[in-house]
Amino acid sequence: MAKKSGPAKMAAPKQKKSFGEICKKNIGFFFILPWLVGFCWFKLYPMASSLFYSFTDYNLFKGINVLGTLQNYIDVFTTKKIVRALGVTFRYSFITVPLKLAFALFIAYILNFKIKGVKFFRTAYYIPSILGGSVAIAVLWKAVFRDDGLLNTALGFFGINGPSWLSDPNWAIFVICLLRVWQFGSAMVIFLAALKGVSNDLYEAAAIDGAGKWRQFFTITVPLITPVIFYNLVTQLCQAFQEFNGPYIITQGGPRNSTTLVSLLIYNSAFRQYDMGMASAMAWVLFVILMVFTVIAFLSQKYWVFYSDDDGGK
Amino acid sequence: MKTKFIKRAAAAGLAATMVLSLGAIASAEADYDECTITVSWWGGEDRHTATQEAIAAFMEKYPGITVESTYAAWDGWEEKMATAFAGGTAQDVNQVNWNWITQYDADGTTFLDLNTVSDIVDLSQVGDSYLEMCQIAGTQAALPVAMTGRIFYWDKTSFDEVGIETPKTYADLLAAGEAFAAYDEDYYPLALGEYDRMILMVYYLESVYGTDWVIDGELQYTQEQIEEGLTFIQGLEDAHVIPSIQTIAGDGASSLDQNQKWIDGKYAGIFEWDSSASKFEKALAEGREFVVGDYFPDFGEYQGGYTKVSLAWAINGSTEHPKEAAMLLEYLMNDPDAAKILNSQRGIPVSASALAAADEAGLLDAKTVEANGKVLAWASNALDPLFEDSRLKSSDGVYYDVMAGLSYGDYDVSEAAEILIDGINDVIGG
Amino acid sequence: MQAESKSKHIISIILRYTVLILVGVVMVYPLLWMVGATFKSNAEIFSGIGLFTAHPTLDGYKAAMGNYGGDIGILRAMLNTFSYVIPKVVFTVISATITAYGFGRFNFKGKGILFAVLMSTLFLPQVVLNVPQFILFSKMGWVGSKLYLPIIVPTLFATDTYFVFMLIQFQRNVPKELDEAAKIDGCNAFQTLYKVIVPMLAPAITSCALFQFMWSTNDFMGPLLYVNTPAKYPMAIFVKLSMDADAGVSWNRILALSLISIIPSLVIFFLAQDQFVEGISDGGVKG
Repeated sequence: MAKKSGPAKMAAPKQKKSFGEICKKNIGFFFILPWLVGFCWFKLYPMASSLFYSFTDYNLFKGINVLGTLQNYIDVFTTKKIVRALGVTFRYSFITVPLKLAFALFIAYILNFKIKGVKFFRTAYYIPSILGGSVAIAVLWKAVFRDDGLLNTALGFFGINGPSWLSDPNWAIFVICLLRVWQFGSAMVIFLAALKGVSNDLYEAAAIDGAGKWRQFFTITVPLITPVIFYNLVTQLCQAFQEFNGPYIITQGGPRNSTTLVSLLIYNSAFRQYDMGMASAMAWVLFVILMVFTVIAFLSQKYWVFYSDDDGGK
Repeated sequence: MKTKFIKRAAAAGLAATMVLSLGAIASAEADYDECTITVSWWGGEDRHTATQEAIAAFMEKYPGITVESTYAAWDGWEEKMATAFAGGTAQDVNQVNWNWITQYDADGTTFLDLNTVSDIVDLSQVGDSYLEMCQIAGTQAALPVAMTGRIFYWDKTSFDEVGIETPKTYADLLAAGEAFAAYDEDYYPLALGEYDRMILMVYYLESVYGTDWVIDGELQYTQEQIEEGLTFIQGLEDAHVIPSIQTIAGDGASSLDQNQKWIDGKYAGIFEWDSSASKFEKALAEGREFVVGDYFPDFGEYQGGYTKVSLAWAINGSTEHPKEAAMLLEYLMNDPDAAKILNSQRGIPVSASALAAADEAGLLDAKTVEANGKVLAWASNALDPLFEDSRLKSSDGVYYDVMAGLSYGDYDVSEAAEILIDGINDVIGG
Repeated sequence: MQAESKSKHIISIILRYTVLILVGVVMVYPLLWMVGATFKSNAEIFSGIGLFTAHPTLDGYKAAMGNYGGDIGILRAMLNTFSYVIPKVVFTVISATITAYGFGRFNFKGKGILFAVLMSTLFLPQVVLNVPQFILFSKMGWVGSKLYLPIIVPTLFATDTYFVFMLIQFQRNVPKELDEAAKIDGCNAFQTLYKVIVPMLAPAITSCALFQFMWSTNDFMGPLLYVNTPAKYPMAIFVKLSMDADAGVSWNRILALSLISIIPSLVIFFLAQDQFVEGISDGGVKG
């Protein structure tokens, strides 16, 4: 299992105490017990199985013939197709995560003001996320980006000859990235919930000091919601690295595999070839990558995330 | 059916000596157990309702057998079935794809060997050559419902606009490319995606050389011959017969039938399975005429090309009610009453009795019958099941890479041929 | 001075609305298009991004009422969806809040490791877990359960890490002094949870509930794997039930059904947003 530092800095363990006091000391354990039971019941076996499969040649219908092999992992790093997909996945994640976070935060900030019709706008901005991977999105998105689509027609007005967004291997990845950024709704909702926790008194105080809205935003709002920014960062990273829907509905991984993310290959391995060994190996490589990034993120917290429940404060 | 009556009579006689009237009547009713069996299929609404109707008729005919159906659309169905078979909870009777037989049933145990229930299921209604296609590891894994093959279809309205006849020969096709280019650069007489190109190439090569693409796990074509095939495909693109892969990708459609250029007639032809042509016809804008094409006699001296099983029925190897499951299978496959309900919901039936019943009732769609007839009359080569292996066929597979790479100019013909041969040997060689 | 700041204010308002409306159009357009497309023919649907059609048809909606030989209709599918989504939402909210409280407010032996385990469940794509999970449920005899057991029961145990982690992070902005104060007032740990923490986390809990509602409503693979009786199918499956890969698809029908299926999510989002946005600071948290 993953070894990683928890979010809370643990208080130094105290000296030995009586049994009752130990119970009292560990009362938190009692609260997480349901989760622990659920984990052992529903998650442990599937996760352990997939880890085990990744070291075998497990085919769903042919069973396991080779045990304890590293061949799958060797293949992951030597098969051109997979290495390339890993590269594309990295690129995809590093483009989409910051953009999506910035966009979601910016819009959430604006939509947090009391303006007329704000309820409508909030709902409107969430619509792309509700639609998810529906047919409507697939059809429309392509209609915008196809060779004679909306975008190229618009560019044509300015005398620009737009590229072939969907069929040019250099551009297609951006179409997929844009789709993800466009669906910023859930990150926005989480930011909105966080902004609600920022007291008006602080803004008032700042306004008296003569700070403009934007200065207030960067000096008051952002620091106060860093725990939630941190949350969105970590979960968006996890989701971006595992993204499947976008390329699946828009490009099917093409053109020339330029939008083939690892998750597409995992899916094809698992349910087109029934090669669970290979699929699991790719999944566990993703696991390790995400674990490393998450650990880095957690370690970086002390430089930029401010927790008001920290003893002594920050 | 007849043998069952005899068996039933014997059983009744035996039972009558032991129990009195009640037991005797029960066993005289039919020779099966009261039980619940399950059945699964995928499809659209018409197939769902027709199949349910047939199943209701089955339950009426055999009181005591309850049939529970599970059905949905194709989307996600492969995952559901693969997971269900792996988890041991698959239905008793299942509609299966042809390639599932090699993928699910390599050792012949996933699906019940239908030879073991041949007293119930009348295998002789299906031709031997078709039966063979569903055999694996010495078992009859499934029973084919219908056969399908690729054939040309034309949007005749477009050809009328351009002012030429629909192509009857390869020479016509090349001439059509020129005529379409002269008419409008955006118009093409034929549109082929990556996999379509692969299949057409095989049809072409088999027409030239006559040999099956793969025999006994060995590719029958040499580097030079495959280069010839790829040159043929690339030649079509160069002659403005087919749009480039990049052009099709730039159209922004998930499939050709959703492509605006097909809908409007800018792409005037397809090379499709006869079993799925109707969706291309339905997709066309109103008033456009959709016709079944002909095979080209001047590709080569052979009638190249292959047919495959489009759908099959199989019984779960671990079913608890093999006999009753077989009864349902027999009913859905061969029973004349069922055939009239199901007509061509799963394609033109290969079962002689089902075909006769549906045909007699005049239920089959004329165009589908025409296309299917042409396919079965023409295509003379056999298809290796691994041709459709997903390592080759899926969007990250070898066929896509080769055909798109060639079209995009990433590979020349000899590189492409090499990659194709290596890829195929990887799959069929182990 | 006054006038200048006023005109500045007006300009800023105009700017703000321009941005909001421009972005808004880009966001809402697909929904509007979808509404329009439900009245179009197949040929028109793929012709582009226009909203209106010259020959509107109601075929899509008529077909959407199809009931597959009485097995399943749109109303039944809706009810089926809610019959597992609502318990899922309730169970998730409760179990995730309790778990987050345990992780966020207490120290105990092995907490670091357990938290790492919790987080690690975020790192593995669901695709590779489907099969072993299915085998697990199949061994318990839950596959095909008419009570949706494999879909509902895990949420009783806070198995959705996204929500647990979210509540942990939100909780960290709730000052510990409040807990201390509650303790002094004689509250035990449980009372502190629902008297202090839960009210403070209300916006976050609402978002959890919203997300779980919408994601569960949209979930397709879960129900497809674990529900075998068409009469028990939820909307997510019902929407696609008529999609025939071979014979072709009536897209206006699919779009009409998708549209109907997202209405509950839209309405709930619209109504619930007050919970996580408006009325800032009344008794709010001091930063």
